Amino acid sequence: MSQIQIRGLQKSFGQFQALKGIDLTVEDGTLLALLGPSGCGKSTTLQLLAGFETPTAGEIRVNDRVISSPQGVVPPERREISLVFQNYAVWPHKTVAENVAFGLQIRKVTRAVLEEKLSKTLKTVHLDHLADRYPSELSGGQQQRVALARALIVEPSILLLDEPLSNLDAHLREEMRFEIRRVHDLLGLTTVYVTHDQGEALVTANQVAVMNGGSVQQLGSPREIFELPANAFVAAFIGSNNVIKGLLTGPGTLRFGEQSLVGNDRSGAALGEHITLCIRPSKVRIVGANPGVTNVLPGTVLRTAYLGEYCDVLVDIGAGLSVRAFTPPSVDYRVGQIVLLHLPEQDCHLLQSENRV
Amino acid sequence: MGVFAIDTSSATVGAEIRRHRPWVRWTVVTLVLAALFLLVAQPVGWILFNSVHDDTTQQWTLSNYVRLVTAKGMLQPIFNSIILAFSTAAISTLLGVPLAWLVARTNMPCRGLIRMLTLGAFVTPSFIGALGWILLAAPNAGWLNTVYRQISGGDLPLFNIYSMGGAIFVCAIYTVPYTFTLVASALDEMAVELEDAATTLGAGVLRTMFSVTIPMVMPSVIVGFILSFIQGMTLFGVPAFLLTPSGTSVVTTKLAEFYQLFPPELYMAAAYCMPLLLLTGGLFWVRRKILGRRRFVMIGGKSRAGRTIDLKGWRWAGLSFALIVPVTAVLLPYFALIVVSLSKAWGQGPSLNNLTFHWYRWAILENAETQAAIANSLIYAAIGASLCVLLGTLIAYIVERRLVAGTTIIAALTNLPIIIPGIVLSVGFFAAYTQPPLSLYGTSAIIIAAFVATFLPIAYSHGGAMLKGISPDLERVARILGASESKTFTSITAPLMRSGLISGWLLVFIPIMRELSVAVFLITPSTNVMTTLIYNYKDGGNYEAVAAASVLLLVVTMVVVAIAQMLSVKLAKHKRASAEIGVAT
Repeated sequence: MSQIQIRGLQKSFGQFQALKGIDLTVEDGTLLALLGPSGCGKSTTLQLLAGFETPTAGEIRVNDRVISSPQGVVPPERREISLVFQNYAVWPHKTVAENVAFGLQIRKVTRAVLEEKLSKTLKTVHLDHLADRYPSELSGGQQQRVALARALIVEPSILLLDEPLSNLDAHLREEMRFEIRRVHDLLGLTTVYVTHDQGEALVTANQVAVMNGGSVQQLGSPREIFELPANAFVAAFIGSNNVIKGLLTGPGTLRFGEQSLVGNDRSGAALGEHITLCIRPSKVRIVGANPGVTNVLPGTVLRTAYLGEYCDVLVDIGAGLSVRAFTPPSVDYRVGQIVLLHLPEQDCHLLQSENRV
Repeated sequence: MGVFAIDTSSATVGAEIRRHRPWVRWTVVTLVLAALFLLVAQPVGWILFNSVHDDTTQQWTLSNYVRLVTAKGMLQPIFNSIILAFSTAAISTLLGVPLAWLVARTNMPCRGLIRMLTLGAFVTPSFIGALGWILLAAPNAGWLNTVYRQISGGDLPLFNIYSMGGAIFVCAIYTVPYTFTLVASALDEMAVELEDAATTLGAGVLRTMFSVTIPMVMPSVIVGFILSFIQGMTLFGVPAFLLTPSGTSVVTTKLAEFYQLFPPELYMAAAYCMPLLLLTGGLFWVRRKILGRRRFVMIGGKSRAGRTIDLKGWRWAGLSFALIVPVTAVLLPYFALIVVSLSKAWGQGPSLNNLTFHWYRWAILENAETQAAIANSLIYAAIGASLCVLLGTLIAYIVERRLVAGTTIIAALTNLPIIIPGIVLSVGFFAAYTQPPLSLYGTSAIIIAAFVATFLPIAYSHGGAMLKGISPDLERVARILGASESKTFTSITAPLMRSGLISGWLLVFIPIMRELSVAVFLITPSTNVMTTLIYNYKDGGNYEAVAAASVLLLVVTMVVVAIAQMLSVKLAKHKRASAEIGVAT
């Protein structure tokens, strides 16, 4: 049973504030994905969890035991945490078996136990036939499994994964997403998974924490993150998104130029403040004249692309803004054509542009 | 899964964290810093301190510096040094850059051989080269001059090696390898795509060369020039052999003069080091600036070898140019040294009845001095190289992995000996370790320590390069799997560095074997090494013995290098074999 609690965690490198105070609780057995662009602080969070860095403020507890605080950190080797590195960090001078067995040798387990656990773990990641190979004789995906097996064999209470799939080719990456999910479900380990790839996060995680600029923008299930983004950053980072900036002029009403658009107001902003309307391109419709609905915007087609399953149409709506719409492939639009866009009210989210700490 | 005691009291938390203070790390760091202080900071500190004291009264004074500027005969050696250094650098650039281009980028014949022979000039100590050239071009007895007189029938010699021109020539041919290696590797490593890009844009061969190739290698050329200049400034053996006989002094030989005075003017010598230190320090700063800004030279694809340029009819002309350095720096002087070492009397010239192995028998079996020097050289070089690699690697580890704050200062201190000419370091060690409480004069320890200090930058930069090739993640994985810091170092870092450590050891061992200037003030008759013995014998004028000792020095060095190389191959095999036995599934 391992629950991680992160409270007010801050980390500065000189003048640069990499983490501006984050709070997260990872319940036992959860797979939490830390998702964000590079430089958002997700890797720093992981380094702090692993014990390689000392926080500037705040603390990390595992089951109420403080393992990191500005006063000091429990060193990595005493944390019962395993970490799989982005570059796998498989030792080139050791065979697959030696790599995987290292943690047990450090723990001085008996030979019999070691061999039993080794063969079991190698089977878990489908590497039993490659035990005597050197890393240079393995493919990227196999090296990745070695790194995973080596992390799992010591039966950690927490598993950390640092962009474990980013060095794999696209096909293998897809396969390994499900592999990680399978191993997680099999062992039920509390896992923190750092990635910049939304697909990976959505497939593997129970919980996703979207990070940007050193703070957590939103914590929620993959569905919540996608369907109810907390702010414009989250909406833009997960999936495709359209952004229309304007003023909040009434309850759930955004003024954009001469037009009033209505949507779900989740911004918490006061009347007259600048806010952002977000809508997914897949929800935007192109309608004929007099459609009899509200939230309709005129615009000019700027660019169209036929993608087989749908058309990607970019429409200029004035004021230097444009809206993307994914439309049925059966209808063609010409560049320069005047069209009407319907932004269904229930799919429009009125949001703050970003959470500020 | 994990079993944890639940504890929330902050007192026990503090205790837990305090228990994990890395004692091993602090002990190692402390020892390393202490060694660095004793080896580098202290000798340099003594030079500075002594330079502002009076030799006779021991009082604080600036009179040494005043003397340096005003007294007769003090400034001339500095000018001479600058002339020597500048000419050396200019000639070595003019020879080295075209040589590098010919070898790296053209279809000149025998490129591999030229590359090998040029590197042969690299491993030859320049003072031994100077000895070879004395045999070849001394104004009266030099063979080339004898032959010339016979042909021309005149009295005048063709060459006089005992001249500034002679010293410049010898310094230059032995510094060409620096320029050559730097420029050739820049050409080798330059991504061929960069040149192809220019070619596809319509640039011809020459246009590409002037607009892409040359600007790309320019930093290497400048750095080569600076390194050659520093060599010309700091070499001791060549000017001592070639300029002192004609009464011309340079900074390094002038320093030796202060020691030979009675009583020796040690504090004046310390002050006299300063212009040399300022100049080398300034040049290294410039070099650093150039390398720091133009780092892109080294980056680039190693996808293919560069395009070779067809020299057509000029191939053989290119080869004859490329042969200048191998012939003058390796073939001719080695030939002279070997023949003389096998002669009863070198003045009689090479002939069968002049042939004898006497000098080798004498050096190896009969003469206790040479026997002791050979043993000393090997022992000091082996111990010195081992300590140097150990210390350099540990410092590199501390700096690369940022184990403590202030790593920039540690790195700077470790690199300091680069800018300190060997003869100056010798002055510093003499000052630091010939008086209580650290009176080591006459012991082997002082010589080994001076060698370690001199070559610490090499060991350090080699260690740093090795560690840069080992991702810190490889170590972090071990930590997170439960290995302590020291266990991680011994089971992951050290094995990964193993073959690199042997090459690092050789990189230090070879220059120690051939180092003359740093030992020159520190040896006593019982701690003589081969280089200092050759230096002393040369004054005696016994050229056959000197030649035999020089050849022995080269042979002994090569034998050790060969053994170490074999060991390294064997070690690699052994590692592989033992790893395969390892853990069974």
